[in-house]
Amino acid sequence: MKFCTEKIIGIPRAISYYNNYPFYYGFFKGLGYEILLSDKTTSKLINTGSQYVVSDTCLPIKVFVGHVVNLLEKGCDTIFVPSLQSTAYKVNNCTKIRGLPEIIRNIINQPFRMIEPTLDKTNNLTFKDFCFETAHQLNIFEEEKINLAIKSGWEIYNNFQKMTLIGIPFHEAVKNAIEGKMLSKPIEIVKPLSVIIMAHGYNLFDERISLNLIKKLEKMGVKTYTGLNVSKEDAIKSIEKIGEIQYWANELDLTGAAAHYMLSNKVDGIVALSAFGCGPDSLMVDEIQYHASERNLPMIHLTIDEHTGEAGFVTRIEAFVDMLIRRKRKIAKENNIKILSSTKRKKIVNAEQKAEDKTLSLI
Amino acid sequence: MLNELKQREEQKNRFFQKDNTIATKDRVVAWPRMGNIDLALNALVSSLGVKIVEAPPNTNEALEIGVKNSIEGICLPYKLNLANYIMALEKGANTLMMFQAPGSCRFGNYTKMAQKTLKKMGYKFDMVVFDMYQSKMKQTLQAFWHVTRCTNPFRYYKGFSTGFNKAFAIDTAERLLFYTRPRELNKGEAERCYRKWYKKIAETTSIWGCKQLKKQIIKDFKKIPIDKNKIVPKVYLLGEFFVLLDPYTNKEIEKTLGDLGIEVERQIFFSDWLEHVLQPSFLYKKESHRERCVRFAEQYMKRAIGGETIETIGDTVYAARNGVDGVIHIMPFSCMPEIVSQNILTKVSREEDIPVMSLVLDEQTGKAGYQTRIEAFIDLVKRKKMKERLNNK
Repeated sequence: MKFCTEKIIGIPRAISYYNNYPFYYGFFKGLGYEILLSDKTTSKLINTGSQYVVSDTCLPIKVFVGHVVNLLEKGCDTIFVPSLQSTAYKVNNCTKIRGLPEIIRNIINQPFRMIEPTLDKTNNLTFKDFCFETAHQLNIFEEEKINLAIKSGWEIYNNFQKMTLIGIPFHEAVKNAIEGKMLSKPIEIVKPLSVIIMAHGYNLFDERISLNLIKKLEKMGVKTYTGLNVSKEDAIKSIEKIGEIQYWANELDLTGAAAHYMLSNKVDGIVALSAFGCGPDSLMVDEIQYHASERNLPMIHLTIDEHTGEAGFVTRIEAFVDMLIRRKRKIAKENNIKILSSTKRKKIVNAEQKAEDKTLSLI
Repeated sequence: MLNELKQREEQKNRFFQKDNTIATKDRVVAWPRMGNIDLALNALVSSLGVKIVEAPPNTNEALEIGVKNSIEGICLPYKLNLANYIMALEKGANTLMMFQAPGSCRFGNYTKMAQKTLKKMGYKFDMVVFDMYQSKMKQTLQAFWHVTRCTNPFRYYKGFSTGFNKAFAIDTAERLLFYTRPRELNKGEAERCYRKWYKKIAETTSIWGCKQLKKQIIKDFKKIPIDKNKIVPKVYLLGEFFVLLDPYTNKEIEKTLGDLGIEVERQIFFSDWLEHVLQPSFLYKKESHRERCVRFAEQYMKRAIGGETIETIGDTVYAARNGVDGVIHIMPFSCMPEIVSQNILTKVSREEDIPVMSLVLDEQTGKAGYQTRIEAFIDLVKRKKMKERLNNK
C-alpha cells in the first residue's frame, strides 16, 4: 500500500469520468487531494473485469470493474465510486449505474475505502449534498473549504463545456480545461458528409470500447457531431419538440443530441452506438429510429460487446458511409445540381461557401 | 419540487391524451395479463358497469405476435404485454388500461412504447395510464372515473371490496396449494381443488360471497389428506415481478417444484403488492415486506436502486437466517435490476451459506434444459437437508 497515508484518491477511467471528470478534478484538488487515474482501457483490462461479474452484465460495467481492479493493483486504497441515482425529479439513471457501489462492494474481496456519495434529486439529495457527502466521507468537515472546492470544480467544468460546445474534441478539451487553458474556435474544415453519433460518453470516448469510431469516420471524410456539442437546454428542448418525454438521466447524450441535429437538418445520417444488452439504449435508439424513418433520415445501429471484431465493425461503417454518399448524389441529381470533379470543386468551394443553402453542390 | 411534479404530470398528460369521444356504453376495456390480476380487475370494472374483453392467455402464439411487433432489445414482459393488447384489440377492445411505476426500470416506458407501436399498426384506442408512484389512490380513481363515469359510490365500494377480496382469496388458495402439493397422499388432489376454487372465485359476484371465499378455501384445503411427518425441503422463489407471477413465462415452476416434493414459498404475491402500493403510508400497521427487505439487505446494499433488487437480496438473507433450504432466482433476459442482484447474490450465497440458482428466461427457453437444471438443484438442496439432519442427531 504505497499511497496509504498520502492524500490520494483513485478515479476509474469509466462511466462518470467521461462526463464529469473536469469537475471532479477541480473539486478534489480544492479539497487538497491528488488524483490517480487508472490506465486506459485495454483488452486485458476488460478480461480482468469480466472475471469478476456475471456474464449478462453489460460491457461498460465490466470495463468499470476492470478499472477499479487496475487502481487496486496500482496500490491505491481510496476509490471514488459515485451512485448517480437521478438528475431531476423522477428522471432516473440506469439501474446498473445507480447500483455501481453495490456491485463493487460485493464482488471485490479486498479491503479498500470506497467513497460512495449519492445524487438523488427525486429524494431531495441535490448536487451540493452530493459534494458534501463526498467530502464528509474523506473526513473533511470545514464548510468553507468544501464550498471553495465546489466553486473551483465548476470553473474547470464550465471551461470544459464551453470548449466542447464550440466543437473541440473531448480529450483535447479535458486536457486544456485541467491546465486552465481556453482554446478558441477551431477552423471548420468543410467535409462532404456529416453525421451525429448518438452514444453515451463512456462508450464513445473510450477508444477501446468504441474502436476509435470518431477517428474512423473522420478518415472517411465524415464530420462527426456528438452529444457534447449540444447544450443541455437545447437537448431538453428538442426532446420535447419531437414529442417525447425525457425518461432516463443520461438520455440527453443520445435522444437529445440526435433530436437536435435532426430538427436543424444539419446532418445526413445518424450513427447509434450502444453496448449489447443495454436497457435504456434499446428504447432510446428505437425512439430515434421511429422519428428518423418519419423524416427519411438514414440510421445505423452499431452494437458492441467485448468480442466485437474490428473488421466487421469497419465494414458496416464503410457500407453506411457509401450509402450516404450515393444518396446525397442522387438527391443532387434530382434537384439538377451539377456535380463537379474534385479539381474544379476547390475553386468553387471558396466562392459558394457563403451561400449556405447550396451546400449540396459541394459534392 | 412540487413544480417539477406538476410539470411532469403535464408532460404525461400531453403524451397520453385522454380520448373523450368514446361513449361510456361503447367502451370495451382490456388490460395485459399478469398472473391472476384479471380476477380482481374483472370484478372491479364490471361492477362499475363497463364491458370487458379478456386477452387470451399467454401462449407461444401470443409471444410470437409480441416478438414480431416489438424491438429487439426490449425485455420479455413487454413482448407479452404487447401481444395481449393486440389480441384484445382484435377481439374488439377500444380502451386499454395499464399501471406504471416510473423510475424503476424499463417498465416505466412500456405504455409509451406500446401506444406508439399500436398507433403505427393502425389501431384506434384510448390508453388510460395511472402512475403507481405518488398520489396513487387518487390516480387510480381518476383513471377508473375516466373510463366508467360512474357516480354511484356504492358501486365503487362494491368493486373495490370484491376485487380486493378476490385477490386475497386467490392468493390464499395459491399459498395453500404450495403447502399441500408436496405433502398430499393422492397425487393431483390439491391441484384439482385449486382449479375448482379458481373457477368459483371468478364466478362469485356478491360482496358477502367474496368476503366468505377465504374461509371456505381454507376449510376445503384442510380436507385434503396429507402426510404431516414428511420431511419437505423449503425453497424460496424470488426475482422479477412479472416472471414470478406469470405461469406461462416461468414454465409453471411452482408445479414442477411441488411435484419434485418441494414446498415453494413465493415472496411476491399480487395482493401483498397491491396492498402496499395502494395504501397510504400512514396506514401501515406492521412492517411491510419492503421494509423488512431493506433491513435484512443492509449488510450488502446501502441504497435502493430501483426494480426489485433490494427485495431479492433482502429475501435471500431472510431465507438463509430462517431455515429455508434454497433459493431460486428467476429473471427475464437482460433485466437490468436483476443482473445487479445476480452479481450480489453470489456473495450472499457464499457468506450466508445458502444455495442459490439463477434462471434466465427468454422466448427461446427450452423446457428440457430448464427441467434438468431445476432437478439438479433440488438434488443438491435435498442432500444438504439430509446432511443437516444427520449432524443434528
